[in-house]
Amino acid sequence: MDFINMIKAYILVLTYVGNLKTVLEEMRKIENLESIAVVAGDYDIIVKVEVEELEDLMEITNKIHSIKGVKRTNTQVIEKEIRE
Amino acid sequence: MRIRVRKKNLFYLLAITSSVIGAVVTVIDTYISLEYNINPWSLCLVIFIAGIVITFILSVILSIPIGGKPLGARIDPSFPGLRLLRKEEVPYQIMAGMGNAVATVGYFFIISIYQDPSTILSFFEVVILYLLITESIAEKNAPSMAEVESSIIVTFGAIMASFSFTGELNLKGLLIVFLVLNPAWVVFSIYQRKLKLLRINGRHNDAINIRFWNLFFTTIFTAILVYFIDTKHFFAAIDALKYWPIMFLSMGTTFFSYIFYIRALGLGKASVTQAVKSSTIIFSIPLSFLLASYIPLSFYESIPQLVIKVMGIILVIMGVISFALTEVRAYIFIKAKTGHPSTDLINDIWAIKGVTAVAAVAGRYDIISKVRMRTLGKGYERIIRELEEINGIEKFEWHSILKEWEEI
Repeated sequence: MDFINMIKAYILVLTYVGNLKTVLEEMRKIENLESIAVVAGDYDIIVKVEVEELEDLMEITNKIHSIKGVKRTNTQVIEKEIRE
Repeated sequence: MRIRVRKKNLFYLLAITSSVIGAVVTVIDTYISLEYNINPWSLCLVIFIAGIVITFILSVILSIPIGGKPLGARIDPSFPGLRLLRKEEVPYQIMAGMGNAVATVGYFFIISIYQDPSTILSFFEVVILYLLITESIAEKNAPSMAEVESSIIVTFGAIMASFSFTGELNLKGLLIVFLVLNPAWVVFSIYQRKLKLLRINGRHNDAINIRFWNLFFTTIFTAILVYFIDTKHFFAAIDALKYWPIMFLSMGTTFFSYIFYIRALGLGKASVTQAVKSSTIIFSIPLSFLLASYIPLSFYESIPQLVIKVMGIILVIMGVISFALTEVRAYIFIKAKTGHPSTDLINDIWAIKGVTAVAAVAGRYDIISKVRMRTLGKGYERIIRELEEINGIEKFEWHSILKEWEEI
């Protein structure tokens, strides 16, 4: 696997009130999610994904959309990243 | 299948596992120093020579692919197999190697003087405060009160847990700990952490290669050190290689303790990792008790001493828990003004202390940044103030992280 050319993205997830726990349980079953963070703010969950192709990203987004309780998602594809 | 765990839990799991294995190493090392008549200078060299051999053997075994991945990927998922040293790693490995060599020479000198190594070595725990000060200077941010409190609780607890009524409090031993062992350990920890945070081929550096190459440099520096102290110790070390089975046992166990420790360093600050790792003292006390009847470990405890040790252990646990509760992380979503190059903006944000990741993104926002701080109040205020000073930011949204799971 070539780690240099991996596509990374943040998927910002908004859930319906009262559905956070079940959405999280379902989300933790999805493969290729680098991290899942529950946050306090305009969104409820921030997911970081790392995939080989854009098509894989679409597949993950579809999986998240199909979880009952997810209201809306917003995908932000990473163009450049600096990290510790 | 990859496992997704909470980052915080993983950090504590790794650091505590390292402590438990470290406690076993302490007992083996005490046994070696009591049972084998090797002078400390030779002992620290022979143990590294044996260490590099056993670490190489273990690293090669861990490089065997099983199910498409090296066996070692089960201990550190970033492990690609044993590899050559990268150019960018060399300066860090030299510093870490020097730190390790000096700290180990001091350590072996002390355990050869005292039968209960925890007596003087208890003051090694002050290294948490050294690390805290070093990080505070490096991050240009004074430590929070909670951080200072937790560090002092852990440090004093660890000293109490290992303090001996019967053991003498030797000034020479204390000076070695405060002036040699602790500063050397700070250098070792800080540079090991820098190595773990390096990215090799776009992925995290792995603990197994870091450990192997660190031992390589440490052995060279220790050999030079021992050779210049007295050449006869150098040759005595070569002669002591005949005790290789016990040396392999000690350094083979140390290898696993370090793998978990280096992985923990990659997830948390060096001071916090060290504070959690100070729980080694907790595990080494019952272990020494248990093994005292099987191997000739000299171990005497009076009832008042035990009471003080238990109080110390409680303080260490409380301090570590209080440390765990004081770290706060957040995502900041940033919208940039038009006409400002995003590269400059990314660099300006990256320069803010506490920022652990900055990503230029395509979508509703322009930049997503991740931050880490000790207390929400103080950290939030400072980061917001610094963001407001950056030209080119139109608006930003703060999202405090309540819970987080990461792929391991």
